[in-house]
Amino acid sequence: MSILTALARAEAVESGRAQPLTTVRHTHVAERPLVLVPLSLAGEAAAPLAAIVGTDPGEPRLLVVANPRDRTQRFDFVAELARVVLSYVDGCARSVDTGAGGTKLRYAEAPQVIVPNRGGVEFVRLLGRSTRFRRPFGPYPVHRTVPILGQWLTFLRERADHPGSSMLLAMTSVLSEHWATGQSGLEDANLAALLGWIDPPGDLDGAGAAALAEDPLRSPPAGPSTDPTFDNEILAPALAAVARSIDDFARERALAALTAAVADQMRPTWDLTWQAVRLLRTRPAGASVETRWAMDRDVFTMYHMALAEGTALPQPRRDSAVAAAGRLDRLEREQARYDAQRALDDPLVMAEFRLSGEAFTGTVVAASPNRVDTSGKKAALRPHITVQTDDPVRLEPGAHLVSPARLAQQATVVSVSSVDVVLELSKGMGRSTKQPAPGSVPEVGDRVTYGPVTDAYQPPGRFPSRDDTPWTHGGPPPVIEYHASDNDAVEDWS
Amino acid sequence: MDPLVDRLDRIRGTVAPRNHNARTIAALTSNPGCGRRGLMDAAGVNKGAVAGQLGFPAGFGQSRFAIARGNAFEAQVKADGAAELLQLLRDRLGLAIPEVAYDDLSNVGGNASREVRYARTKALLARAASERDDAGTLFDHPMLRLEIAGYYAYLEPDLIAFRAGGKFHVVEIKSFAVIDGQADPGKTAAAATQSAVYVMAMRELLAELGHPPESVSHDVVLVCPENFANRPTATLVDVRKQLTVLRRQLSRLTRLESILDALPAGLSFDLAYDSDQQATRPADELRKAVSTIDARYSPDCLGTCEMAFFCRDESAGSTSALGRSVRDDLGGVESIGTVLGLARGTLTPGAGQEEIAGLLRFAHKLRTECLDGIG
Amino acid sequence: MPFVSEPIHIELLERRIDRLRGELRRAATTGDRTMARALRAELRQAEHAWDDALADLEDQARPAPQPVHKPMLSIREQVHHALTLLTVPAAPKLIIAVHDAFFPGELVAARLTSLRRDEERSFRVQPFGRPYYLCPALTADLLSPARGLLALSTWPLEIRVVGPLSARVDFLIGAIKVAQRVAQLPEDAHDAQRLLWRFAASIPGAGSAGITPSSVAELAQAELDVHLEADTADRTAAASRAQERLDGSEALFGARLQRLRRTASTT
Repeated sequence: MSILTALARAEAVESGRAQPLTTVRHTHVAERPLVLVPLSLAGEAAAPLAAIVGTDPGEPRLLVVANPRDRTQRFDFVAELARVVLSYVDGCARSVDTGAGGTKLRYAEAPQVIVPNRGGVEFVRLLGRSTRFRRPFGPYPVHRTVPILGQWLTFLRERADHPGSSMLLAMTSVLSEHWATGQSGLEDANLAALLGWIDPPGDLDGAGAAALAEDPLRSPPAGPSTDPTFDNEILAPALAAVARSIDDFARERALAALTAAVADQMRPTWDLTWQAVRLLRTRPAGASVETRWAMDRDVFTMYHMALAEGTALPQPRRDSAVAAAGRLDRLEREQARYDAQRALDDPLVMAEFRLSGEAFTGTVVAASPNRVDTSGKKAALRPHITVQTDDPVRLEPGAHLVSPARLAQQATVVSVSSVDVVLELSKGMGRSTKQPAPGSVPEVGDRVTYGPVTDAYQPPGRFPSRDDTPWTHGGPPPVIEYHASDNDAVEDWS
Repeated sequence: MDPLVDRLDRIRGTVAPRNHNARTIAALTSNPGCGRRGLMDAAGVNKGAVAGQLGFPAGFGQSRFAIARGNAFEAQVKADGAAELLQLLRDRLGLAIPEVAYDDLSNVGGNASREVRYARTKALLARAASERDDAGTLFDHPMLRLEIAGYYAYLEPDLIAFRAGGKFHVVEIKSFAVIDGQADPGKTAAAATQSAVYVMAMRELLAELGHPPESVSHDVVLVCPENFANRPTATLVDVRKQLTVLRRQLSRLTRLESILDALPAGLSFDLAYDSDQQATRPADELRKAVSTIDARYSPDCLGTCEMAFFCRDESAGSTSALGRSVRDDLGGVESIGTVLGLARGTLTPGAGQEEIAGLLRFAHKLRTECLDGIG
Repeated sequence: MPFVSEPIHIELLERRIDRLRGELRRAATTGDRTMARALRAELRQAEHAWDDALADLEDQARPAPQPVHKPMLSIREQVHHALTLLTVPAAPKLIIAVHDAFFPGELVAARLTSLRRDEERSFRVQPFGRPYYLCPALTADLLSPARGLLALSTWPLEIRVVGPLSARVDFLIGAIKVAQRVAQLPEDAHDAQRLLWRFAASIPGAGSAGITPSSVAELAQAELDVHLEADTADRTAAASRAQERLDGSEALFGARLQRLRRTASTT
């Protein structure tokens, strides 16, 4: 949150429509995403009740558990879901990216699973956790695809923590990154209300559409939790009817009624999620979206091959303290890079940095394009420019910056006054050591923006080795490497 | 009669005060700055009914699946003399093997009235607190009470009070899962606050018997199912912080005089029920009455207070309706109209608004500059 | 509905059901209980009508439903078996588990609820007309029915009254009895073994892997030795009090508080 977003929310209230927070789309939208709308049974840790899943808005695949508390039926459901998800994942690994160059293999596609909200992401985590340790043999055997689905769901859930990754998306989060509504962030967690502000149906304004979306009867919750009155008045009798059906005919009828009831709850969310996908596709993609998606595809390629070869790292129940600290450090650096990339792609994101004084826009008032620095062993072309700006610059001499218009060129702050900034430029000026290539150095009168460097080298945090884990963090983990064991597989599940 | 209680009775009207339970008492701490809520709760007003009459019914409900699951888990943990719970307390808290005495206080010889049960709870806990160690270990379904603004609220925790090492502990049984050592933070926090209500009520009971507050531990035992099984696991939760907040909030409820003094004398939220139990109080009259007390709406209220939808409607156009953080980002400026006026330069900043006005103008300039020409 | 054909009738019913569902949920949301109750009844009626209409429509010779296999034993006999095995008062859940683990047939939980009342009524009509009655255990302090604990009338009062330690003592005795019975069964009696594990999980030292029925019994006995003396003293004292104060039906079904108060004031 910042004053820019806050102001955008105020504007949204006044105009009755959500206001853009970006000028481009920063999230990759796959050609064939897999949309998953899950429902779970209230009161249980991870009891799936139903799901709609599929890659085609016109062909939702509906899965229902007739008795969510029954272990066998639960895993039958998971096996069904595994069929859909695994065939989708394998489909992404069918062709190789030939344009990538280099020696590294990269698949042309990666899975992109879209769930309606953060609750859906948590569902993916819990379902992954509860299935990846199952075994197709031994006590309580499951279909062989169940633990594989568990590994993929765990993988996807882990990727969702990485800023800029688009393999598992909560639609409400993606939309909130791109639009500000005239309601609170808490209320934005309701997909129907959020979309109501962004893309209201008919003659409604945002507030009117959001009000309708809050009525669980008109607009069922996007899951995984169901509306309590739906549970009490519709679902409970429907489940009971299945349970007490005395013959196949009765059972079939009861199942049909149950299926229709849950389909009614999920179908609107399915449609809304696809509506949001279409909406996102109408926005032009930011310049670095493709770079980040390529990173997703790299990670996917590696994991897919590792799973096939049986060399995939285990997914323990909990990270060791050192692993967790290292992971946090990595995520923080990825966040900084993601923020900087978006700023360079999008002046409205750059505006956030300008507000905080880490970036500025202004007019070049003086330039010495042919300035040569002779202090080193070899003379080097180091032009200076002076940029006059009204922005409240908070930068120190020596800071490295880059301009969205000249990504290959590095700028270093020489001095900052209340009205202007002097920058020294290097790189991106052609081969000559005496004279920059034409147009490569901003000229007097040019309007320029400088902001934070995307890949500024930040040394990775230093952490003790596993064996030196301080006692405050549980001491060194046991020497035995983590392996999924039979013990995991027989973990009770009721 | 206590004039304060009398006044609150008149504000509530002809119905009996709404029964508090640990959940509603815990909810008192969620927006302590709200005068409207404080007054309505102190008077025991049925906020849900008032909101409904105002045309803003609150959709609070609990799924029967969640309730059934909760009951089943509790029954399981307490089955056969709380066999599973005993095992947990032995493993985790080192409860000694001879400590197995189990007293069921849910019903006294076929009489389940609150007063009788409270008296029996008091008698048994008194014996346990003052006598030897073998005077009882587990007390199931004790009946406790807490004074809320002049009225006793009876609390019937689905819990076991458990005594070991000269101290009572509150055992709270909840059916949300602890998976790989982690539980839903929201649910854990709610359980901690509710447990704190019980700790407080137990302390009050023992204080009447002359025992110091430390005789009830601030560490409560939270029992939840582990991972995806029904096997219970126990965690100690320190509720000192929740106790402090609760104590402060409850004492505020009895210091309402200043709020009350500012209110019109005839103020009442009575819904004027007719013989068919239909509310007949005209909505606009009720609205006027409710509006005489200031609310402090924030979107968090939507999950905790029955009045929230009404208050949200009332605060339309204010920055606080957008959330506390948005309001803070906007420098605490109250009205959205003012924010936009300052940002566009059509309003002259008032005293103390110069800085935020400057920032808003800059933000507005940036947004216009960047979005110019973009649909 | 003679004027509409079946398919249309069904469609009308479906629309009606949809509408009723919507109204019902609306009423439930706004907390209008009276309305919700009425709508719920109406909805169930419509659903039944729908069921019937569909059944007519299917008009298929469906196989006659399998006659429900009637248990050979009455429910009181089933409960009697389970309690006789345990030898101590037990909660309905445990009774069901024991029955299902060791005896043929299924004990229907729903029917247990009315059992106690039926037994008491039968006793009042014709005292001691039956060889045994299923009755509640009695609390040691008030000699009133203990919540959710069933006992056999033929047991001595010392067993039928329960004090603060009795729940644990009876649990351990039950564990020993179950262990002894499991020891006599073949290894593949999974239900019985699962029941034993459930006991074992709450007995110190017995929850570990590779435990045998006889070691469960030994460990249960070891803990039992800790509590037994005090519990027996409690129960014997309570039993002699009961002997003095309770007569006929009360000695089996427990004293009510009102009467107890009267007793207390006259003594």
